[in-house]
Amino acid sequence: MTGVFAYAVRRIFTTIPLLVAATFVVFVLVSISGDPLARLATCTTCSDAAYDRLIDLYELDKPIPLRYVGWITDAATGDLGTSTSLGEKPVAGIVAERLWNTALLAVPSFLLIAFLAVVLGVFSAIKQYSIGDYLVTGASFVGIAMPTFFFGLLLQAFWGVWWQDWTGWKPFYVTGKHVASFGDYLASATLPIITLTIVLLATESRFQRAAMLEVIGSDYIRTARAKGLSERRVIFKHALRNALIPLVTLWALDFAGLLGGSVITETIFAWPGLGQLLVSALPNLDLDLVMGLVMVAALLTISFNLLADLLYGVLDPRIRYD
Amino acid sequence: MTDTRHVSAIDDSIETEARSFGRQVWDRFRRHKLAVLAAVVLVVLTVSFWVAPALSPYEFDEITPDFRQPPTAAHPFGTDDIGRDLLVRTFMGGRFSIRIALLVALSTTLIGTLLGAVAGYFGGWIDALVSQIINMVLLVPALAILLVLALKWGSSPWSISIVLAALLWTRIARVVRGLFLQYKEQEFVMAARSAGARSGRIMFRHILPNVMGPVVVETTLLVGTAIILESTLSFLGLGVQFPTPTLGNLVAEAKGAIDSNPYRVLLPGSFVMLITLSINFLGDGLRDALDPSSGGGRT
Repeated sequence: MTGVFAYAVRRIFTTIPLLVAATFVVFVLVSISGDPLARLATCTTCSDAAYDRLIDLYELDKPIPLRYVGWITDAATGDLGTSTSLGEKPVAGIVAERLWNTALLAVPSFLLIAFLAVVLGVFSAIKQYSIGDYLVTGASFVGIAMPTFFFGLLLQAFWGVWWQDWTGWKPFYVTGKHVASFGDYLASATLPIITLTIVLLATESRFQRAAMLEVIGSDYIRTARAKGLSERRVIFKHALRNALIPLVTLWALDFAGLLGGSVITETIFAWPGLGQLLVSALPNLDLDLVMGLVMVAALLTISFNLLADLLYGVLDPRIRYD
Repeated sequence: MTDTRHVSAIDDSIETEARSFGRQVWDRFRRHKLAVLAAVVLVVLTVSFWVAPALSPYEFDEITPDFRQPPTAAHPFGTDDIGRDLLVRTFMGGRFSIRIALLVALSTTLIGTLLGAVAGYFGGWIDALVSQIINMVLLVPALAILLVLALKWGSSPWSISIVLAALLWTRIARVVRGLFLQYKEQEFVMAARSAGARSGRIMFRHILPNVMGPVVVETTLLVGTAIILESTLSFLGLGVQFPTPTLGNLVAEAKGAIDSNPYRVLLPGSFVMLITLSINFLGDGLRDALDPSSGGGRT
């Protein structure tokens, strides 16, 4: 157990320089992508105080590397700075609020994806080359080729316009977040959740099928069958457990990505999450907000990757952390 | 005399058995029916993207008096808000999308192969550096970087291509690095080195031909990824700017009119899907044909 702990600590420490380098690159890119003062140039009612305020907020009187040092030292203490586009509120508070909204979509989608990917992948693998397998594989090919924005738009048009035209009944909200009651939440979150699910499910079920087929073809499965174990036991106890190992990494990356906010889905369905925030923060040159979002996404990726590597040890006792 | 006849008979049988590498690849590829179909679809689509606009009586940026038309005989795909013919715009959009995707795939392959090869072959600090850069790129949300870069530099097809390549090179670099690590220890590399070949020659004349299979597969799949990413960027309004049409910005432009004329969204969107689907099938077929040991596509 101490081995695992030492491994985790070492991993965290080796990731810190990477995180610093990555955020530095993003900071420089965002800083040179535009001048926050340019917006004030066309503003006739703004006073000099507004200029000074922006210069002060972004430390525009200092070179970019020094601004970064200022930002990262603050960020290390949990102070992510101030958002300018959303009325001078602290970034940490905004991000926390939006993270919750994103999680309202991300958590159910992830559970659906993980569950369905395993079910469809295992089904496809044990019924290889059956009609069901061809249907699942074909659907996953279509799902992979389907751009998220196209699927989202079609879903929105179907339930928002066409279905209502035919039946006079509109079961879902097609834009915005409604959480007055659980029914409202379901009515407004279902379509974005389906959009998120379909796109990732296509990749994951294909991956699960390949992993499962590889395991089923291996010697220890033949041994398990030769021992006279029931097929159910062979598949679920012996094969699935091994076929899940490669999938865990994919789960970690996908869940981190989902929690980091999905730009397209949230934009289409006007869901006030992290992804939609990023799209609105960038053109407004809201540097601290953009950096806060990137930081959160990077931290999520790091944490879930680490979690996946630790889960490997649980699923496969042969893996040692030393 | 009977001896020579015998020998020539053996020669014949050897000749019919021995197939060139290209021939073997073609034979394996041909068996993959879907991949052949996909290749045909791609060729037909690409040719029509270049030919159809030339045959149309309209220019892609020509404004006609019939605006917001549903599909009619004169305008089979309808017209947009200011009366431009959508058939010609969709096919021109396909042309721009394909052109950008090819550019992205080629530049990404070039960067990724070069960095992967150098990292895998030389190892040591170079490998550590390249690997850490790859980890760094994977750490930040891809779309965030893409949006920042696109906002500042991307509005022409060229800059979009460079921006996408800067983001996508990591995958192919990892593949190539792994293969170089594996090949550099093999006897033929040692033989080349002992014959006095320089590193550059060993890397590009001896090892690179061996890794071309996986590289070609990755490049093919990259075209599909690039089409989707380019159309996504255009959809968000950060891609190629008007009046130049791409399949993505056509969908974006049409989304407000989806209830009055759903074909405006369906047609360009379906083109994106059809192209990507075909490319993925083609990539699978190529993987089986070029790299049969991987077993990737068949599973």
